[in-house]
Amino acid sequence: MGGKVTCTLGEVKNRADFIVYWGGNPAECHPRHFTKYTIMQKSRFLPRGRKDRTMVLVDIRETKSVKAADIFLQVRPGKDFELITVLRAMIKDQPVDDSAIAEIGLQRSDLEDLVARMKRAKFGVMFFGMGLSMTRGKHMNSAALLTLAAEMNAFTKFVAMPMRGHGNVTGADVVMRWQTGYPFGVSYHRGYPRYNPGEFSTVDVLVRGDTDCVFVLGADPGATMPQPAIEHLKRVPTIVLDPHVTHTSRLANVHITTAPAGIAAAGTAYRMDEIALPLRPAIDSPYPSDFEVVRRIHEAIRQKPDWRVRSPWIERQLDAAH
Amino acid sequence: MLRIKGGRIYDPERNINGQVEDICIQDGKIVASVDEDAPTLDATGLIVFPGGVDVHTHVAGGAINFARAMSPEDHRRAQAFIRTQTTRGGIGGYAPTTFATGYLYAGMGWTTVNEAAVPVLSARHTHEELHDIPVLDKSLLVLMANNEILLDLLDTGEHERAKDVVAWYLWAAKAYGVKAVNPGGVAAWKWGHDAKQLSTPIDGYQRVTPGDIITHLARIVDELHLPHPMHLHCNNLGAPGNVATTLETMERLEGHRAHLAHLQYHAYGGDDWDSMRSAAAQVAEYFNASPHLTTDAGVVLFGDTVTITADGPWQHLLYKLTGRKWGNLDVENETGCGIVPYTYKRTNLVNAVQWAVGLELLLLIDDPWRVFLTTDHPNGACFWRYPEILHLLMCRDFRRECWNTFPDRIKQRIVLPELDREYTLLEIATIISAGPAKALGLNTKGGLAPGKDADLVLYSPNQDVAQMFSHPRYVIKAGQIVVEEGEIRSTPAGREIIFQPGFSPDVESYLRERFEDCYTMSFENYPVEMERVENPLIQSADPSGQS
Ligand SMILES: [Zn+2]
Repeated sequence: MGGKVTCTLGEVKNRADFIVYWGGNPAECHPRHFTKYTIMQKSRFLPRGRKDRTMVLVDIRETKSVKAADIFLQVRPGKDFELITVLRAMIKDQPVDDSAIAEIGLQRSDLEDLVARMKRAKFGVMFFGMGLSMTRGKHMNSAALLTLAAEMNAFTKFVAMPMRGHGNVTGADVVMRWQTGYPFGVSYHRGYPRYNPGEFSTVDVLVRGDTDCVFVLGADPGATMPQPAIEHLKRVPTIVLDPHVTHTSRLANVHITTAPAGIAAAGTAYRMDEIALPLRPAIDSPYPSDFEVVRRIHEAIRQKPDWRVRSPWIERQLDAAH
Repeated sequence: MLRIKGGRIYDPERNINGQVEDICIQDGKIVASVDEDAPTLDATGLIVFPGGVDVHTHVAGGAINFARAMSPEDHRRAQAFIRTQTTRGGIGGYAPTTFATGYLYAGMGWTTVNEAAVPVLSARHTHEELHDIPVLDKSLLVLMANNEILLDLLDTGEHERAKDVVAWYLWAAKAYGVKAVNPGGVAAWKWGHDAKQLSTPIDGYQRVTPGDIITHLARIVDELHLPHPMHLHCNNLGAPGNVATTLETMERLEGHRAHLAHLQYHAYGGDDWDSMRSAAAQVAEYFNASPHLTTDAGVVLFGDTVTITADGPWQHLLYKLTGRKWGNLDVENETGCGIVPYTYKRTNLVNAVQWAVGLELLLLIDDPWRVFLTTDHPNGACFWRYPEILHLLMCRDFRRECWNTFPDRIKQRIVLPELDREYTLLEIATIISAGPAKALGLNTKGGLAPGKDADLVLYSPNQDVAQMFSHPRYVIKAGQIVVEEGEIRSTPAGREIIFQPGFSPDVESYLRERFEDCYTMSFENYPVEMERVENPLIQSADPSGQS
């Protein structure tokens, strides 16, 4: 990650009078976002709620979210990066060619209006979804949007936030970072964490067939990964912990049914803004929690002879004892 | 049980200055005597210090974890911690991973750390990280000086309720003390502004000024009998000429206890970046005459690091000055946080002045019980560089070697060349252990008398001071040998020290009502459950008013 100018969702709820959704369809993918955090909420600073807020949607196609927007900007597929670059120039009053704007599929007047509104806002926020971060340009697009948000702070308050996917992906990211320094794509093969997305990410490791065992927790790679990765899952011992039958559990050697977290098992989930929420079970489950299963597997592995490196100090103690 | 035999003891509290004495340990505590046949550790010729105590560091929680995400290029060149039978894998560098943090601190002889800036909203996350920092005992301070519920109460002058609110938050976070960062300035930053004048009302408020927050919060902390006074990061951090704000702040603290964090960043003269100069002498003079105050130095060392602070507006300025990456995280109702990577260069006038000011304060403040060693890790430098600073403090010639390389235009702006003081070993033991333990109110830390926690460190005497302090011969935590000859030998879990203040029960219904407006989390989910805290050690104020 380069940098990121962001906030917790309560700041958006309390202050954001200018809200951009870019490359996402919150009406369908994050249905509670509008009512809980963004356009519908009233607050001390925005007492009239929806009337005090402007909502802009940027996407390549009309989705159900368009109805909720005050302004819809339909960008040509694959031209998000160009649009962000043009906006970065326009906020600084740098000249932009007509051809550059035409290429994006928008009118100059639309963009001038957008820039004026952005600068007039007291508190602007840009949420960006997979339509931005997973299409042509990928992380370059996200980085450009984050930079635009950072640069807007020369004029007014502005923040940006990715709309994260399902499950507790943010939680996994947070824990990996404090334990290894990196969010994902970590290899421990040399005994210390190394990071290289594209080499150590799960999909790459599976496609290359580098693992001789796979342990799946809180994910369903069998549903989303490319065929060579799925073939490898079938080839090696694959163990799945999941409350439900999934694509992956069907091709796994072992499926341990666990209690669903937040429904029948306690735990912690990290919200997309990295705030930790306690999960409290509402019902009992005959199945153990993920935590309990992992704990027992770990306990069993500890019974085996320890193959890890001994410190030179321990070696000396052993030598001395002999 | 253990008897440490024949070591040269440095115990500032009892003014023991290198005398040879045995130390006996039982059940994790130092005791007067142990059985004749207790195992013995031969410490003949070794120097024995109480374990180091860091009064101000940033090792766990949302901010440092944000910094880790922003530093992959540093992780690659940083020290790698390879997993062994006793240690887990990790990365050192300027934002070390949690396990590595424990090994690095313990490896250097530090056994207690105080995480100095935690939003209550991310306290649950912070406790999870603290749980993954082995060996060390830990405490945390919560950010209160920009909390909007609190500012509203101060604005309308409701002192008693404000006090209950602070106490409730402290307990909700399972925290130890109260931190104030740029009072009012971070609240103003929520609209992109700052608070630079102590007597001007804060953006969006009728009456309350930064100065009011400072005095009210200090008073609240005193009235709640917290063991550690209000821990204050003053307004105008880092700005040329901010000495005026710092002196005014100290004036406003008259009659209250307070700890001034990383004073180096608040002791500059001049009018702008070109005319910036040291004002350490002025600050130290006022401070020396203010016995109710303690401080930590916040020393800067040359090299790469990452700056992280709740002071959002300052970080925005630093981003504009450096053009490097910028992380910002505003926390609803409570505070902000900014992250900017930074390189301190000896050829840069501002950085050279900063380097000198940190050392000048340590040399000009005459009472070692009131000024402590910190770098405001990782802001001024990483904590694992402390031994370099000890070398600078103990050796005037080494200091001269350093400042001699500065251009003349820098030498005219600092007072360091005039300072001949050299720290003694007993003074070093005071500023790295006994003093910070006392300021934190951790009565069982920072000493070697019977009754203290058996946290201690043994050094082999060495002319090379930095070498001696970075490679202790033994480190003992709660009676257990954790480091021997620079290697981690065992990694027991540490404890978390929490303070339980008293508050009126109706504060709950007051806060519950305001909660939905201010937060996006339910009132029930907000407080950290005690079972999430690792080995809690709960302190509370006793009725006599002494804690
Ligand atoms: Zn700090």
